[in-house]
Amino acid sequence: MPDIAFFGFAAVTVLGAILALESRDLVYGAVSLGVSFLGVASLFFLLDAAYIGVFQIAVYIGAVVILILFTVMLVGPAKGEGPTEFRRTALFIGILVAMMLGVGGALASPSAFSTNQPCTPECDLAQFSQSLLVTYSVQLAVLSLVFAAAVIGALTLAKSERGTA
Amino acid sequence: MADPISDPIGFSLEIMTSPLFFKVAVFPGLTSIGIIIALFIWLDRKITARVQLRVGPLYASPLGGVLQSFADLIKFAFKELFIPRNADKFFFVAAPVLALIGGAGLVGLIPFTPEWQISNLELGLPAFLAFVTLSPMLILLAGWSANSKYPFIGGLRSLFQQTAYEIPLWLSAIGVVMMAGTMNLIGIVQAQSKPWVIFLGLSIPGWYIIPQALGALLFFITATAEMERIPFDLPEAEPEIIMGWQAEYPGFLFMSAAGASFVRLYAFSALFSVLYLGGWMGPAPVPALLWTAIKIIIVSSLIILLRATFPRVRIDQLLRAGWTYLLGLAFLNIVITYLLVVGPRI
Repeated sequence: MPDIAFFGFAAVTVLGAILALESRDLVYGAVSLGVSFLGVASLFFLLDAAYIGVFQIAVYIGAVVILILFTVMLVGPAKGEGPTEFRRTALFIGILVAMMLGVGGALASPSAFSTNQPCTPECDLAQFSQSLLVTYSVQLAVLSLVFAAAVIGALTLAKSERGTA
Repeated sequence: MADPISDPIGFSLEIMTSPLFFKVAVFPGLTSIGIIIALFIWLDRKITARVQLRVGPLYASPLGGVLQSFADLIKFAFKELFIPRNADKFFFVAAPVLALIGGAGLVGLIPFTPEWQISNLELGLPAFLAFVTLSPMLILLAGWSANSKYPFIGGLRSLFQQTAYEIPLWLSAIGVVMMAGTMNLIGIVQAQSKPWVIFLGLSIPGWYIIPQALGALLFFITATAEMERIPFDLPEAEPEIIMGWQAEYPGFLFMSAAGASFVRLYAFSALFSVLYLGGWMGPAPVPALLWTAIKIIIVSSLIILLRATFPRVRIDQLLRAGWTYLLGLAFLNIVITYLLVVGPRI
């Protein structure tokens, strides 16, 4: 049963990502990116990493996709304007990177994720916060740059679309 | 891979008679959500009318027109589905329906009593708030897809408003998590079960509305803004942008869009009663489920009373209040909670 669920969510993630690159309309592309993120969040839920799954939804869909949509709608091309070039190259590179990451992850998983203290769903909240905010505080701060990356990415996307149109 | 099912009829019957199926389909799931939403629409119209010295719905049924919203529902179902010619058809249809489904999904996370809950997640509270963050995307898409001026303005206003008020909403809910030590909604209610003794054996319920008074007020204000109810109904503002993002919606789709906001009213009232009013806790003779219902009705009636009483704020006032005062007060609330939780230990 988890196999079926895994393949379903993986298919949603990959199809969403492909549509995000390939769709003619930037708005559809942004929404496909959101669907892809939702697939990733579901995969996290499947891995019993509910905390990451919930924040994947809140941060990536609730903030990053909305930032992209917002930028696209405010400064992007008008509705129905033609697509840009380089879609096939981008698709090829995307598939290549995804395959590399997938293979790398599959090779690394048995050894990389075996910890002495598995954080089960009954994991202590205080202990979890301790590890997140004390042990990994620097990494957390670096991760928060994702918003800056999203703003810059969305602006670049919208600007280049307008420039070529 | 799953085994082939040997007895399909027996299997289906087994599923349909299981408690989970009853919960999802009847209560607290889909059927009850539909009926409660219709009753909420009636309550909204009736309370607003009484405050303004009007009568409100009157004729449909002897009980003060309580069947009026069911009659409206039937009327909407038979209206023509008129989609504007240059609209983006996919998102125009999908956005309000998805908003309604997403709102109904929020109700599934609420524990009405420990038994009457569809999905008991360990991270119930952040899951609820995370699914709330999906709604500005749907509303923006709904406004954009109509390809018309007023809906688009309404969609952008909704985006500004909801993203500005999400952060104080999360921060004000953190106070409750700090006091309860858990993000599970049942755990949060159980943490409120111990009454506080004031003096001479006189005790009050240990509900978080007392230590978290500031947090509860912030949560109430930001939740009202997230629901886009008056005084924060800028995305719909009838006199300015004629219903905003809902302007172009026909019959059934308008019903979905309007229903979505009432589902959220229901879900947020229930969440408020769980976080701050002790959920199903209450003196014994009244059953637990009825306590939950009473608290939900009180909270939602308060939100409806705001609609009847206050004028709409301007967009600049709204955003300034959200990003400065509410955010600052939310951080202050966290500091106060920290002192309340850690103070006694020092």
